[in-house]
Amino acid sequence: MSESPASSELPVYLDNAATTPVDPRVAARMAQVLNSDAEFGNPASSSHGYGNSAAASIEMARAQVAAAVGADADEVIWTSGATEANNLAIFGVARYYRDHGRHLVTARTEHKAVLDPCAELERRGWKVTYLVPGESGIIDPAQLAAALRPDTVLVSLMHVNNEIGVVQDIAAMAEVCARHGQAWLHVDAAQAVGKCSVDFAGCGAHLMSLSAHKVYGPKGAGALLTSKRRARMHAGARAGVQLTALQFGGGQERGLRSGTLATHQIVGMGLAFQLADEMSGAEGRRIADLRDRLWRGVAAIGGALRNGDAQRVVPNLLNVSFEGVEGESLLAAISPRIAVSTGSACTSATQEASYVLRALGRSEILSESSLRFSLGRFTQERDIDTAIAVLSEIVPRLRRIAGA
Amino acid sequence: MRYSELTRRYFESAPHAGVLLHDAVSSCAAALRVATPGIFRGAAGNRERGTWVQFDIQVQAGLCLDARFLAFACPHTIAVAAWVAEQASGSELRTALPEPVAALAQRFEVPAEKMGRLLIVEDAWLAAIQAART
Repeated sequence: MSESPASSELPVYLDNAATTPVDPRVAARMAQVLNSDAEFGNPASSSHGYGNSAAASIEMARAQVAAAVGADADEVIWTSGATEANNLAIFGVARYYRDHGRHLVTARTEHKAVLDPCAELERRGWKVTYLVPGESGIIDPAQLAAALRPDTVLVSLMHVNNEIGVVQDIAAMAEVCARHGQAWLHVDAAQAVGKCSVDFAGCGAHLMSLSAHKVYGPKGAGALLTSKRRARMHAGARAGVQLTALQFGGGQERGLRSGTLATHQIVGMGLAFQLADEMSGAEGRRIADLRDRLWRGVAAIGGALRNGDAQRVVPNLLNVSFEGVEGESLLAAISPRIAVSTGSACTSATQEASYVLRALGRSEILSESSLRFSLGRFTQERDIDTAIAVLSEIVPRLRRIAGA
Repeated sequence: MRYSELTRRYFESAPHAGVLLHDAVSSCAAALRVATPGIFRGAAGNRERGTWVQFDIQVQAGLCLDARFLAFACPHTIAVAAWVAEQASGSELRTALPEPVAALAQRFEVPAEKMGRLLIVEDAWLAAIQAART
């Protein structure tokens, strides 16, 4: 395993769910494209070799991404990231199928990149049902079945939760949607690739959002997968799920996402996905061992509560609430030495607790005192031991100051 | 959130953290006169709401011989409570904080939206003084 690109003087980086460092192999390939005399052309310029060379690189990346997630290359639409992909899926389906119905189903624990588009649709008169998972973070397919209505056109659920890492049974959700007949299933898989098995064709989803920078690729690149598979009540249609484009000008990506493609970004994403696919097994086991080592060390401090299901969880993520510790102080005390995310957006007096943990039934105070540790490809055993040592010093100190 | 150098120093060192009354029943909500002669306690705020501060003061002949604090609170609040306890120790007992809340906010570069937390520090201090003078 290669060393982290970060300096050893920097805090230990355990925030890979926020973003991952670019794999040096990916960076080298991207630099090669940027420095190339042949690949700088506009991929849409088919009248000369410069454009054709860039287009060939993009099609290779398309095939790499598709192969890594069990999709066909022609199901891949490039976007700037998962947020854009989520917006394209939700608004694209909503606009195209608005005459079929105006009801969506999603979950309280989704990423804001799904919740905010749903809220916007509500403002425009759509109805949205928000599923609330159990304490484990898992959504029961029966909950989805109960929420579907004759006018439901879209279900949007994430594959892996970004805060607690629990893995939803997407195939079971797809079965529920298939029985319903007209509800398309969109899956935000930004946190899933490289961490658990992702099989677009096999799981039965119709739309899937992907991100490059969660998989050691560059920021600013992503994709939306659009299935050619037809839903039962749309059997008369010529193809699978249809979208109305949200931006226009140039007609790239089958007219669904106009704009000149960023060759170096896309090439980087392609290689990042290929590497993730090749490395996922061994990498996942190594990271799971480190995650379990971290949990044992944190649990030994006492008063540490693990959030989310401990079995159906990706190997790289551990979310813990610390009893008797104020959240902002905890983060402030550890941040010079460990880079993690807090479950609280406590950057102001409002101290908004994690809405995900609140939805799982955690108290506000425990939600605010939670930390999300997300490990990655470059995390080493010594990083975990440093994190345990820091927490073993800081948490008891803050508890003493709090009189806890 | 960014913290000033002074805030980080007092938050990390937390001088005067602790209690003077080891056997007393603590109160999260109000001043509590305790049986130990010359030692008084006051608290304000609420852990469930995210901020709670307590001061113990040792008073003799109009002097505050020692002051200690506990705080379940953000770094700004801990830093200010630590500074207040440090300044008060060995000084003449005064009703008010060593500096007004507004001055403390400026000294520790406390964001405006956190002013309410400094008022909790003030309330805890006043509760301890009240306990001493009742």
